[in-house]
Amino acid sequence: MSNMPETRDSLIIQIQDPDNRDAWDAFTQIYRPILYRLARARGLQDADAEDLTQRVLMSVARAIPQWQKNPNTRFRHWLNRIAKNAILNALTRGRTEIGVGGSEFLNTVNNLPYSSNEIEAQIENEYQRQLYRRAAEIVRDSVNADTWLAFLNTVVEGESTEAVATRLGKTIGNVHAARSRLMRRLQTVVKDLMEADE
Amino acid sequence: MMPNTQTCQPERLEAFLNGKLSSRDEELLEAHLDECSQCRRHLDEAAAAPVAWTRATAYLKDDPFDLEVISGFSDEPLALPPQIKQVLDVLGATDDPGMLGRLGSYEVSGVVGAGGMGVVLKAFDRPLDRTVAIKVMAPHLATSGAARQRFSREARAAAAVIHPNVIAIYGVSTDTPLPYLVMPYVGGASLQKRLDTEGALPVADILRIGIQIASGLAAAHNQGLVHRDIKPANILLDQGVDRLVITDFGLARTVDDASVTRTGVIAGTPQYMSPEQARGEPVDARSDLFSFGSVLYTACTGRVPFRAESPYGVLRKITDNVPRPIRELNPQIPEWLCNIINRLHAKSAEDRFQSAEEISQLLTQCLAHLTQPTVHSLPKELHKPRKVFGVRARNAWIVVVAGVLVFSMYFLFSQKTVESPQVSRSGPIINTSSSNGIVLPWEQPDSTTKWADQLETVLKHIEQSIILPSPPGPLSPSTGRGGASDDLRNER
Repeated sequence: MSNMPETRDSLIIQIQDPDNRDAWDAFTQIYRPILYRLARARGLQDADAEDLTQRVLMSVARAIPQWQKNPNTRFRHWLNRIAKNAILNALTRGRTEIGVGGSEFLNTVNNLPYSSNEIEAQIENEYQRQLYRRAAEIVRDSVNADTWLAFLNTVVEGESTEAVATRLGKTIGNVHAARSRLMRRLQTVVKDLMEADE
Repeated sequence: MMPNTQTCQPERLEAFLNGKLSSRDEELLEAHLDECSQCRRHLDEAAAAPVAWTRATAYLKDDPFDLEVISGFSDEPLALPPQIKQVLDVLGATDDPGMLGRLGSYEVSGVVGAGGMGVVLKAFDRPLDRTVAIKVMAPHLATSGAARQRFSREARAAAAVIHPNVIAIYGVSTDTPLPYLVMPYVGGASLQKRLDTEGALPVADILRIGIQIASGLAAAHNQGLVHRDIKPANILLDQGVDRLVITDFGLARTVDDASVTRTGVIAGTPQYMSPEQARGEPVDARSDLFSFGSVLYTACTGRVPFRAESPYGVLRKITDNVPRPIRELNPQIPEWLCNIINRLHAKSAEDRFQSAEEISQLLTQCLAHLTQPTVHSLPKELHKPRKVFGVRARNAWIVVVAGVLVFSMYFLFSQKTVESPQVSRSGPIINTSSSNGIVLPWEQPDSTTKWADQLETVLKHIEQSIILPSPPGPLSPSTGRGGASDDLRNER
């Protein structure tokens, strides 16, 4: 889609170049929130979640040169696997990644229940979430404010179409039409982003 | 307005969603949607699958994390505890996007933890290609000249202790705004973590841990260094219990000088302090031995010896009270180990063991006895008239259980007129078959056979669950250690 950031297609190739800081930044913009939220969802405090995020991104950075474009391997799935392993490492063998001194953080991390499947599902869930939010940003910037509000207020914030229509000075038909079309566009962008990531 | 029937058409909805309708047609459709709830529903369905709607609702809603993600990852300062932030602020810039910054020649990749005395950073030592832990002195301590002096003196002392059970010191920097210590990144969880997850440990593990702590302490004490903060959180286990290191040498003393003794504030938990520490008296190596006793106590029982609501309550108990007897909490712990811990817990340093070296040797003998009771006897000073729950007692218990089982089998089968001469010789059967498994040669149909099989399984299980020592005699020492498989392996 024309709304796609232009670097998207080659982002994966770009981050394989260790000198390309922009590509790495773009990449971490996508994955940092995913990892951070995963850590927070596991009960870590902000600073600790960030540390875990950092550790996982480091292992991803180390693994990325090994990835080769291959029609059978989707980059995202490969990456999810790397991320999952890194998180599992951080949470379990992460015990081996312990520095000197007592640390509340490590006690917290190590006390969390974990399972490979659960983490995999969480990563995918967070990935989807991030995907929707990236797509929503793109779509939001391409529609007028009322259309966005019609969508946001009814779909995300759960207001009735009637209430929103009244507030925006539109008909129910207007609001419904606007939010459905926006939803369709969102879907298309989500699909495009996902393909670009793979 | 067009009649409703003309606008209730799915293909029109699809065209609308794709922006293919003229603006006139769009207006007409929207007017129709005002009145036709069925078309509204169809439009929703056509726009996206139900799961997509649900996801949009769930995923686009901000939750508290998002707000922090926004604040945490923008250019705004990170929402870090001030102490960590202060430390991170002094880091130099780095070219590596994966790193937080530089400290000296080290690339800092993350914060491992923070405590009252400082912040531990994880960093990479590029020239030497190794990951290190850097303990940076807390900024509020670094402003105290005395604390800095003490820090460097203690750091050098700790660096002089070269021992496998004492954390190595790779480097010290004392002339930087924040002094720091460079140490290896150590594998494994702390003993604290292990106790938190597992509670009381098996006796053999306690001894293995104890031997190593004691010999690490002995090495430090030989250098005139008192640890002063021996506690499970400062014992790092490297894979299991076979190798551990004592960490946090030096800093504890720095903290004492800079804050505790001046302000009367207790830093961290006093649970493992010695009575002399609790009273604020001068301490020597034997203070560490008391704390070591508390560590062993916790490993035996899964709980700290001196418990109270407040730190001051804990201090009072340390000086005045005797902890609850270990065997009340965990009867598995042999009396002799309790005696060792009790001696370490003597309120007066004079009454304790006098050196870590001595305990290390003692515990080594105890472990040898535990694993090979027939080859190694308990150290003489630990011999007590009452010997309860030793390995021998356990074996006797097994024989009793096995005897009862065999007797009941005999009873069972004799009821069914089974003649089995071996059954009556219950004792010998158990004893002779102990290394090969039990062969029950009767041939019974149906349920009785099943019964016998089950009993056999139970017996084998009991037999395997407790390692029988080899009978004393002209056997090679290797057979003394384990079951049949060990014997086979040691055959050649």
